[in-house]
Amino acid sequence: MNKIVKKLLIRAIGLALVVLPAYTAGGSVLIKNGTILTVTKGVVAKGDLLVINGLIKEIGENIAAPKGIKVIDASGKYVIPGIIDSHTHIALAGTNEGSEAITPEADVGEVVNADDVSILTALSGGVTMAHTMHGSANPIGGPNVVLKMKWGKPSEDLIVHEALKTLKFALGENVKQSSRTITVGGPPPRYPQTRMGTNAIIRREMLKARAYRKEWDRYNKLKAFKTPPKNLLPPRKDLRMEALSDLLEGKMVARCHDYQATEALEFLGLAKEFGFKVQALEHAWEAYKIADELAAAKVGISVFADSWAYKMEAAEGIAYDAGYCAKKGVLVSINSDSAERIRRLFNDASKTMKYGGLTENEALSLITINPAIQLGVEKIVGSLEVGKQGDIAIFNEHPMSAYTRCEMTIIEGDVYFDRAQYLKDREEAAKKAEAPKKGGRS
Amino acid sequence: MHKKAYLFGSVFLILSLIGPAAADVGPTYAVKNAKIVPVIGPPIDKGVLIIRNGLIEAVGLLDKVAIPEDAEVIDADGLIAYPGLISTHTNLFLEVARPATGQGSPEFTAQQALVQDRPAETPELCVFKLIKPSKAAIDSFLKIGVTTVLVAPNRGIIQGQSVLLNLNGEKAEPMVLKNPVALHINFTTARGTYPSSLMGTIAFLRQSFLDAEYYAASQAQYAKILKGMKRPEYDPFLEALVPFVTEKKPVIFQCNNLEDIKRALKIIEEFKLNALLSHANEAWRDAAILKKTPIPLLVTLDFRPPNSSQYVNQGADLRKKAEAEIYPANAANLAKEGIKFALTTFGLNDGAAVLKNIQAAIRAGLPKDEALRALTIQPAQYLGLSQQLGSLEPGKIANVILTKGALFDEKTQVDKVFVDGVLWKF
Amino acid sequence: MIKRLFFICAIIAVAAGLISAQAKPAKVIAIKGAKIIPVVGDDLESGTILIRDGKIDAVGVEVAIPSGAEIVDAKGLCAYPGMIDGYCFLGLQEISGVSATVDNRETGRINPQVRAIEALRYDSMHIPIARSNGITAALVAPAGGLISGQSVLIKLDGWTNREMVMKSPAAMQIEFPGIRGGRGGFGGMGRGAVVTADTTRLIAELKDIFKNARYYQKRKEFAFKNPAFAMPEFQETFEFILPVLRGELPVMISVHSDRDIKAAIQFVKEESLKAVFLGAEQGWKVADDLKKSDIPVIISSLYDMPPVWDDGYDSLFRNPGALNKAGVKIAFSSASASLAKDLPYHAAKAAAFGLDKKEALKAVTIYPAEIFGVDQIMGSLEKGKTANIVLSDGDILETRTNIKKVYIDGLETDMSNRYTELLEKFKKKRG
Repeated sequence: MNKIVKKLLIRAIGLALVVLPAYTAGGSVLIKNGTILTVTKGVVAKGDLLVINGLIKEIGENIAAPKGIKVIDASGKYVIPGIIDSHTHIALAGTNEGSEAITPEADVGEVVNADDVSILTALSGGVTMAHTMHGSANPIGGPNVVLKMKWGKPSEDLIVHEALKTLKFALGENVKQSSRTITVGGPPPRYPQTRMGTNAIIRREMLKARAYRKEWDRYNKLKAFKTPPKNLLPPRKDLRMEALSDLLEGKMVARCHDYQATEALEFLGLAKEFGFKVQALEHAWEAYKIADELAAAKVGISVFADSWAYKMEAAEGIAYDAGYCAKKGVLVSINSDSAERIRRLFNDASKTMKYGGLTENEALSLITINPAIQLGVEKIVGSLEVGKQGDIAIFNEHPMSAYTRCEMTIIEGDVYFDRAQYLKDREEAAKKAEAPKKGGRS
Repeated sequence: MHKKAYLFGSVFLILSLIGPAAADVGPTYAVKNAKIVPVIGPPIDKGVLIIRNGLIEAVGLLDKVAIPEDAEVIDADGLIAYPGLISTHTNLFLEVARPATGQGSPEFTAQQALVQDRPAETPELCVFKLIKPSKAAIDSFLKIGVTTVLVAPNRGIIQGQSVLLNLNGEKAEPMVLKNPVALHINFTTARGTYPSSLMGTIAFLRQSFLDAEYYAASQAQYAKILKGMKRPEYDPFLEALVPFVTEKKPVIFQCNNLEDIKRALKIIEEFKLNALLSHANEAWRDAAILKKTPIPLLVTLDFRPPNSSQYVNQGADLRKKAEAEIYPANAANLAKEGIKFALTTFGLNDGAAVLKNIQAAIRAGLPKDEALRALTIQPAQYLGLSQQLGSLEPGKIANVILTKGALFDEKTQVDKVFVDGVLWKF
Repeated sequence: MIKRLFFICAIIAVAAGLISAQAKPAKVIAIKGAKIIPVVGDDLESGTILIRDGKIDAVGVEVAIPSGAEIVDAKGLCAYPGMIDGYCFLGLQEISGVSATVDNRETGRINPQVRAIEALRYDSMHIPIARSNGITAALVAPAGGLISGQSVLIKLDGWTNREMVMKSPAAMQIEFPGIRGGRGGFGGMGRGAVVTADTTRLIAELKDIFKNARYYQKRKEFAFKNPAFAMPEFQETFEFILPVLRGELPVMISVHSDRDIKAAIQFVKEESLKAVFLGAEQGWKVADDLKKSDIPVIISSLYDMPPVWDDGYDSLFRNPGALNKAGVKIAFSSASASLAKDLPYHAAKAAAFGLDKKEALKAVTIYPAEIFGVDQIMGSLEKGKTANIVLSDGDILETRTNIKKVYIDGLETDMSNRYTELLEKFKKKRG
């Protein structure tokens, strides 16, 4: 074919791909003239970012706008990867199956509530993805789920299937119900009521799960015989044991709520004993005491910046926890664990610059690429790189400045939070509220 | 010849003696001059409807149907005859259950057992045992034309089995049309015991059905072998569940919001259950899914939005709109999407409230004849009782209402009601 | 004999000199080369602050430094006045979930007699943490009930609680419930509560107490003048409420909804009280009324959720800017013990949502000083005021800024705190 015709054809196809409505999910948008903090590939001081059909197509200077694309002027603003909250409880119809201590059959993925207005709260703080979890009522809670904050979409569209499957564990005061008063003659307290019992019950369930697995292996072996024995019945399928089996087989990783240093070390010991992986410790207020051990074991932590001293086990939590551990080579994320704090994860991350001496980019990593790695989604989100999903937040000042605010939050190229629009809507609503008062019919 | 007559007569006598004792169902009726809306088939402008022995004997044009000698003639000029309305989901005649908490209470009495304890769920419960009929409740429903109700259990997760009643009097047994009808399951939580969370409930339901399958398989195995195999331990809970898993007896899942519908469909698919969905007052939000996987819907006329709804938690204005406009349009939206459903009175215990909500649903865009079908032939079909109920056709049970004015119109009054062929005295 | 006396006096003088040398600050300190943000008056790109006997003696570009002065090289640093927390629980709470360590909420609803100062742990681990972040004074208050008790204004330095006192009592704390932003606590389930109609009833109750207190006072005065008549029976509540009614003690009223704020303004006027409002989360809706009333507002923690959805997701953040623009005097507070150090970040958050940055800084320095009537002594870097000075490597409202030195009353304070102690301990252990 003629070279020129070929070129034209390729151009035409390219243009068509860009201009035609996508059959894949995800929007297209061109963000112009912002300071782009990619997190992993440096800063583009005055740059453009192009998202096509939900994926980042190009990052650079002076990107030409494909016809018909939505253009966002980010002059004077900062463009960062969408913030990832590694530990929350939003968008769920219930977070604890506290009636029993071991409940891994209870899966929060079955009770996603896409109508939770906390999703909007998260979006107003630049958060595009959240790892929403069991609470900490139980030594073994159950599977968690990772959600995109796609307000208005059906619940199944929020679930991030690429994420690692995580199983929530918890240790310490919440599990042993320290804050509950035991009434004489009342119902007996739930076992375990000590940290010893907590570890013992986890060990017990792991041993049970091992035995369960052995039963099934035996059955499967027998079934595979050329002439399987007569009257061969499979063992009873037990959802609780199935979940723990998955953990032992490496199909799930553990995320463990822990405060004290001893607790953490012993839990890592349990993990070693049974061969399951601890992906991260949650809260880990004493992680700084065992930073070396955590770094060596390649166990991450997901912590607050400085919300401490609310329980005895948080009494030795220090604001240097996150920053110090990060410097020691521990993979650290900062989380909110709260529908209120989720609005200001960037403020919390910035505190590690003061308490820990982290650089701007290191601090920003704590709420972007680090939680992405912890959740196993670093290939698709967590930084602004070509090929990753277009999850983006735009701030009016540097995100590590206390004076900043989130202006816009974009998920896979679609705008889910727009402060300018919000202000316009407020103005119109205010005008409407005024109008009937100013004469006319009442 | 004499002998033959004598034989014939004695056989007849014997038969009439040994046959089922026929309760006195009152006079034969000929309802004359009414407009008749049979639901199946076109309306008849001026017709006759003959009721005998509790059944509709004949329906037709004035000059086409003969009026029997023994008939009480009722001149229904200016009245319209409809089939009695059917509500396939109520808690009528039951004591009000304490509301289940959403998240479970902190006072746990459950001891940690080595084997998972099962809470006191009651699949074997037949709600018929609990009903306390009351004339006031019956009057309230008959006044708006509802003659047939499905009474479902109202406690727990696996709640028990429902009964279908014809509101024909204050004694329970003669009311029964079908018992039991279906197993009812509600997406709620237990109090003070497992499961105290919705995700626990879902796991509990799945485990229960898995265990029922396992139980049935073990039982079947044992029945085959008998010798040399330890007998499976008797479990009344699983015993009661087995028919719904192996024989595919009907199960009704109460879906209190759009997510419950999806949760139910997952479980139904996993265990290949024969299921219907009730409540479903957010069903329109799942229209795409319901079109892909059609399932009988028993949609309530109770428009109160679930507390979790986004329409309720974004300010007072939107909440008001939700209650006044958005949720009442549920049925209209389903109809627009071509999704079939029956309408129920679940959550509304007062006839007047039911009528108000039917009218609101119609104002919101539900065509009147769709509303009528959703309260007559559609529920009858869902129940597998379309031979007996749901339209004015010969042979069907004589549940007939006569109205002054078109049914569901603002000023319309129900003038007369026949239940099982007997004229009701208000 | 005289010789002996002289000798004794000399010894006393020397001893006194030695003792006071331990207690008194260096006589003269010159902080040189800092960028100076005095808050009142223009910023100086580079200047000197002279401290003499604990007070600011001079602030300027060219300042004569007397010989013998301690020179502090502050090149590259910023000098600010110490910040003032408008409402907190420092010293009254150690671990909020452990009630044995919490002393800010007395039981019962009417407690004008309880005094925060009497329970204030001067050695609370939270005080050095806040101080080392540049907070040099704070209003510590009881909470709960209708009349919570008497708050105290302290400086964050002292070896006993009484040494820390600047004003005791500072105010009588009164709380009107009603809408409150939920704090979105752990578990992500915080929600704003529904408006209640309680405040009208509570105001009536307060008026009743005040009325009866006045009667009580009248009877006391009468009985005092006429010994033949018996004194009224001692009434604790009235005794401790009377200073408020006499105008000697201001009230700090925690109030939230627009309706309640208006009712509270009316109440303050009718009872002729000196008043400060705390919270006023819907104050932006009635900003003009607030301005006219001349009642200042202590902004409560911005770590709360908006009380009502319809107010908008940023209503708490917008509120301070709106009030300030309408001419209402505002000050910020931490409303915390464990997070008292975050005082400046509430101000910065408000600045992110419309409050002028300079006003934000004033609202943690000079404005709270004015509100508590100590602006002659603190709140800005001006001659004659006490030397509460913060040296930082940047804007003190910024989270990343490091505070290098904190002076209180001209004394350089210890910058170590619980955080640094634990960090050092575990840093050292493994080498």
